[in-house]
Amino acid sequence: MAASLDPGHRLRPLPNCPSGTSLMIRTFAARWLACLALGLLFSLNGAYAQEAPIDPAGPVADLVRQLPDGSYRDRGAVIGELAATGDSALVPLLRTLEAGELFLLTETGAIVTIEPEGDEVVATDVLTGEAIGTFGEDAVEEIRVNNLIRREVRAAVSQLTLMSDSPSVRIAAAREMFNGANADSIPMLDEALAQEDNETVRAVMEEVRAVAVLRSDAGPDETAAAVDTIIERGGRQALGILQASLGSASADVAPAIEAGIARIERNLALWGVGQNIWYGLSLGSVLLLAAIGLAITFGVMGVINMAHGEMVMLGAYTTYVVQEIIRNAAPGLFDYSLAFALPLAFLVTALVGIAIERGVIRFLYGRPLETLLATWGLSLIIQQAVRTIFGASNREVGNPSWMSGAFEVGGLAITNNRLWIIVFSLVVFAVLVFVMKKTALGLHMRAVTQNRRMASSMGIRTPWVDAMTFGLGSGVAGLAGVALSQISNVSPNLGQGYIIDSFMVVVFGGVGNLWGTLVGAFTLGVFNKLLEPHTGAVLAKVLVLVAIILFIQKRPRGLFALKGRAVEA
Amino acid sequence: MSASTGKFTMATAALALAASTAWTGAFAQDEGPIKVGILHSLSGTMAISETTLKDVMLMLIEQQNEKGGVLGRQLEPVVVDIASDWPLAAEKARELIEVEEVDAVFGCWTSVCRKSVLPVFEELNSLLFYPVQYEGEESQRNVFYTGASPNQQAIPAVDYLMNEVGIERWVLAGTDYVYPQTTNKILEQYLKDAGVAEDDIMINYTPFGHTDWQTIVSDIKAFGSSGKPTAVVSTINGDANVPFYRELGNQGIDAVDIPVVAFSVGEEELAGLDTAPLVGHLAAWNYFMSVDTPENAEFIEAWTAFIGDEERVTNDPMEAHYIGFNMWVEAVEKAESTDPDAVIENIVGVEVPNLTGGTAVMLANHHITKPVLIGEIQDDGQFDVVWETDDLVEGDAWSNFLPESAPLEADWTDPIMCGNYNTETETCGSGS
Amino acid sequence: MISQALLRGLNGKAMWVVALLVAAAILVPASNLLLPAGHPLRVPNYLVPLMGKYLCYAMLALALDLVWGYCGILSLGHGAFFALGGYAMGMYLMRQIGDRGVYGNPDLPDFMVFLNWDALPWYWQGFDMFWFAMLMVMVVPGLLAFVFGWFAFRSRVTGVYLSIITQAMTYALLLAFFRNDMGFGGNNGLTDFKDILGASVQAGGTRAALFAASALMLAAAFVVCSAIVNSKLGKLMIAVRDAESRTRFLGFRPEYVKLFAFVVSAVIAGIAGALYVPQVGIINPGEFAPANSIEVVIWAAVGGRGSLIGPIIGAILVNVMKSYFTVAYPNLWLFALGGMFVFVTLFMPKGIVGFLSGRRWPGRPARTTTDAGLDTAKPSPAE
Repeated sequence: MAASLDPGHRLRPLPNCPSGTSLMIRTFAARWLACLALGLLFSLNGAYAQEAPIDPAGPVADLVRQLPDGSYRDRGAVIGELAATGDSALVPLLRTLEAGELFLLTETGAIVTIEPEGDEVVATDVLTGEAIGTFGEDAVEEIRVNNLIRREVRAAVSQLTLMSDSPSVRIAAAREMFNGANADSIPMLDEALAQEDNETVRAVMEEVRAVAVLRSDAGPDETAAAVDTIIERGGRQALGILQASLGSASADVAPAIEAGIARIERNLALWGVGQNIWYGLSLGSVLLLAAIGLAITFGVMGVINMAHGEMVMLGAYTTYVVQEIIRNAAPGLFDYSLAFALPLAFLVTALVGIAIERGVIRFLYGRPLETLLATWGLSLIIQQAVRTIFGASNREVGNPSWMSGAFEVGGLAITNNRLWIIVFSLVVFAVLVFVMKKTALGLHMRAVTQNRRMASSMGIRTPWVDAMTFGLGSGVAGLAGVALSQISNVSPNLGQGYIIDSFMVVVFGGVGNLWGTLVGAFTLGVFNKLLEPHTGAVLAKVLVLVAIILFIQKRPRGLFALKGRAVEA
Repeated sequence: MSASTGKFTMATAALALAASTAWTGAFAQDEGPIKVGILHSLSGTMAISETTLKDVMLMLIEQQNEKGGVLGRQLEPVVVDIASDWPLAAEKARELIEVEEVDAVFGCWTSVCRKSVLPVFEELNSLLFYPVQYEGEESQRNVFYTGASPNQQAIPAVDYLMNEVGIERWVLAGTDYVYPQTTNKILEQYLKDAGVAEDDIMINYTPFGHTDWQTIVSDIKAFGSSGKPTAVVSTINGDANVPFYRELGNQGIDAVDIPVVAFSVGEEELAGLDTAPLVGHLAAWNYFMSVDTPENAEFIEAWTAFIGDEERVTNDPMEAHYIGFNMWVEAVEKAESTDPDAVIENIVGVEVPNLTGGTAVMLANHHITKPVLIGEIQDDGQFDVVWETDDLVEGDAWSNFLPESAPLEADWTDPIMCGNYNTETETCGSGS
Repeated sequence: MISQALLRGLNGKAMWVVALLVAAAILVPASNLLLPAGHPLRVPNYLVPLMGKYLCYAMLALALDLVWGYCGILSLGHGAFFALGGYAMGMYLMRQIGDRGVYGNPDLPDFMVFLNWDALPWYWQGFDMFWFAMLMVMVVPGLLAFVFGWFAFRSRVTGVYLSIITQAMTYALLLAFFRNDMGFGGNNGLTDFKDILGASVQAGGTRAALFAASALMLAAAFVVCSAIVNSKLGKLMIAVRDAESRTRFLGFRPEYVKLFAFVVSAVIAGIAGALYVPQVGIINPGEFAPANSIEVVIWAAVGGRGSLIGPIIGAILVNVMKSYFTVAYPNLWLFALGGMFVFVTLFMPKGIVGFLSGRRWPGRPARTTTDAGLDTAKPSPAE
């Protein structure tokens, strides 16, 4: 099943990927990888399909035959030599190697790819592209790769694809070379630059060339120009390269390098602050999500809801169940799994919340501290129930593709899942504020919490409103669970990790005030993240807690204290 | 009224029941079943890892009973829940030994659990088989360390990265507790001895269950962008790993740029993760589920059948229990007695097959021989072995890379009979 | 004057409790040490430290009840005082190991040796002396409570705000003590103790003595608490609990009343922690865990807050059940424990003691107005 490297076959559509009947897990996984890598290759490097195969008697072929021998380091060096031949026909072979799809036919020493046929395998010589015959599974041995080999392969491929037809391949190749460029790369780069007509690619290549020049023994003028180019590029890699070159730099260029280092560092420091604020906002959004349900059950209703964390956990487990069903029934819908999980999680946790309210909490109004005890008991029960049903270990909840990856804005690296979580937390917050302020339910909720008897006299069904309020708070916690399942463990202990932080946020922001929770969450998040680079993660958290304690002394009712009689209730 | 009186009676009855059961000791048995204690957390933060170990012990005991038990007697497991509460662990250990009269205990995961129960085993002279890789710096007469010590996991992993991946810059990232602290101390010294500059080592500690890894991962990224090949040696503890790897994946750190080698991430932890972004990151263990040996295939089959779930994975500490249990059985058969002293005397030198095709030998320092395997994470949550030691590595109780422990040796055979024998002064400990 | 106050504390019910505890302090060790093994009346070895542990928990619950049941301060951080007392004792015990540690270093505990500490940090100085350690057992928690209370009560932080910041306090301490750089052994804490006052901590005699000490200290703490709540100050505490503003308007200074109760309570908790450590053989930061402090609140609630006997009964009952269930039903015990908390809150709002006394004297007025249920629809009291 593995792709053959025969040129005649190379223009075929992507070969069928294996369907997992193999007992050998390792090979199975490797095959998927091979499929992926080859798929990429087919889509990007059509150009190589037309080139002649490697001459089986030539020096390149001799090098290829050395691939299985020696330590990883020796073999890494062989790959370096292969790259130096500049023979771009090697690219598919190297990709196959990287994917772990290259085998050694122990009998003849031939390098082959294999395709299983029953219990046996059909081997195809990679050099000639001809099928050699059918062998037992033991006759071939996988040529092992590790990260060193992969690194070398990437470097080699980037050198060999520098003159590819596709600008995107060329630019990727040039970027890959940035760190590793040296004096030897200059002729190759010059050749590539000479025929380059794409300005963007050209600019990247010039930067790579600058690195190569800096590392060569070029004259002072040329070196100075190279330094300028690198400084202009900026970023951490450039900084590293300049710092490394400082030791061997001549006295003429050393001051320029030093100035460049200082400039890049200043720049980085500035972006660093921005980055930390971004991290803080992201942490704040997690805190907001975790706390916002509590802002209702605790803040508005006055129930010290220790089972709040468990509601979050139930939301996360709902996501898990939804994803499991989708994986088994309709894998194509996986990217939409969260869209199914959100309403379901809300529903499940809201129902559990209503059941808790009707079953336990309603007997405890006016005795807030006793709700603490009862809900603590409930949290133990829910945790153990989940542990009994789903097992104690973590469950796998995947990121849909649109939540994976990252992009850069200037010097800021922004990860997609964090961005979505910030957006999501703000949406949840906005909806909640709308419900509280603009709907009949919200009006009733506020009325009941402010003066239960008066509200009751006005014809509001207080028990129903209580149940709905608690259900709403729990449901929102369930929504938070869906979001948190994307960044954290899904285990029975999930809720315990967030419960204390949630209470801190609500109390810091001011009980009974949703805006307080919003501001509180983001303030604590940003404060924590600004401290962290200086103090380390543990001390930062300790300092945040101490700050909360001190802050409460100053403002005993939180950031946004409620005014008036309601405070005393 | 009557309803609440009823409830009251119930409550009193429960109290009386609880009290009487706790107070009545079990009677001594000579010819009944042999009792085996299982001391793992089934609730609380450590339940995630330890519940599996309880199940594997139940399976091993069941299998042994099918084979006719030990010394012609059946084995009876006694399971307790230590609830991730370490003083409770000491209490339960005492109860297992004194009240339940178990002959051996298999249990604990964390160092603090072991430290907490250790005095109990010493005082009551019983046996503990401890199945998890740990920081070393200990050898106790009543404890058998069937997990890896640092020289059986951390040092070979660093050797591999240095020699076979060409790593020059190191991030030692761990959870702030004793295992990472000690391991990183050892590794730091080891790296410096190997000529790595101070500037090329970054050490970072995080609290238990750390979830927000954004800052640290971006620091690692910055540290790794200097141009020198960089790797992360991770002693991050169980729960914090999922968000850590997720952040790595999201920030686009790929195993080829900055490989992470972990000592606490096994198949069980990966089962809770989408491993696609982690392919190529490493773990160092003494066992992987993917190892292709007949013993392992048999073990996996028995395990999935026992647990009733085809998807359940096996991992390194489970193998450690497998080895430890078989060693105990062998030693009991050899001693023809379950008496702890007799077992301790007979177990040193006992050889049992491990699941990776070699044999585990109980050494005089109560550690065992193990192969060291380096595996790369695959996208199906398994590991592909990329490197392994040629020979079995002997577990070393006292590290040679810590100045104070370098002269110490452990030997529980005559004539030394000491867990911390000082080879310089030729005395046991400080002479006490 | 103090002796008078203490005598007043020894009123009818208190006498019984004290007598019972003193009897236990004598009988349990005697039965354990004097009766031969296997005798039906002999208290088995493992039970002695276990019961000692229960008594320490009872003392902690009693301490909490003094501030919660009588002064209306719901502390969700009392575990911190307990743990600090425990650490002070643990440090003494570590120093007693001397050069018998695995590395044979005469000054440094083992964990400092292998983490390359050069010298004993300053805050470890003096802990080799028993009297100093015992002083610290009381001073450290007391001082923390004083500072914390001084700020919090003067700023009039009350109700759930206070509860949550006590929680923040214990959580911050938890994180801090987890750090190995703090020099308290990190997550492993302090363990592997050898001697206390020259006697081996593992010897039966020492165990029995520690049990007796726990029982007697609990009796003493009970008398002190009883004396306080029966004094004029005690009445003031109840006044502060039930209507703080009103008390203030009457010209009293509620913050000092609260501060006093809080500090006394912290000291008792510290002593409980100090007795706990040698009996369980370990102190680690887990004792600071917020969940532990919440559990203490639950013991007091189960037993019945607002009475001094209640928390003692609650602590012992819950822990006996926990000991029993973790062995008998390792997979189900959390259901039982959780179910019990829900049950007690719903059906025995004043705990077991309140429930029992409610049976016997139905006409007795409710102790606290804050306990008023929804159905009575009384206006909520201020604060």
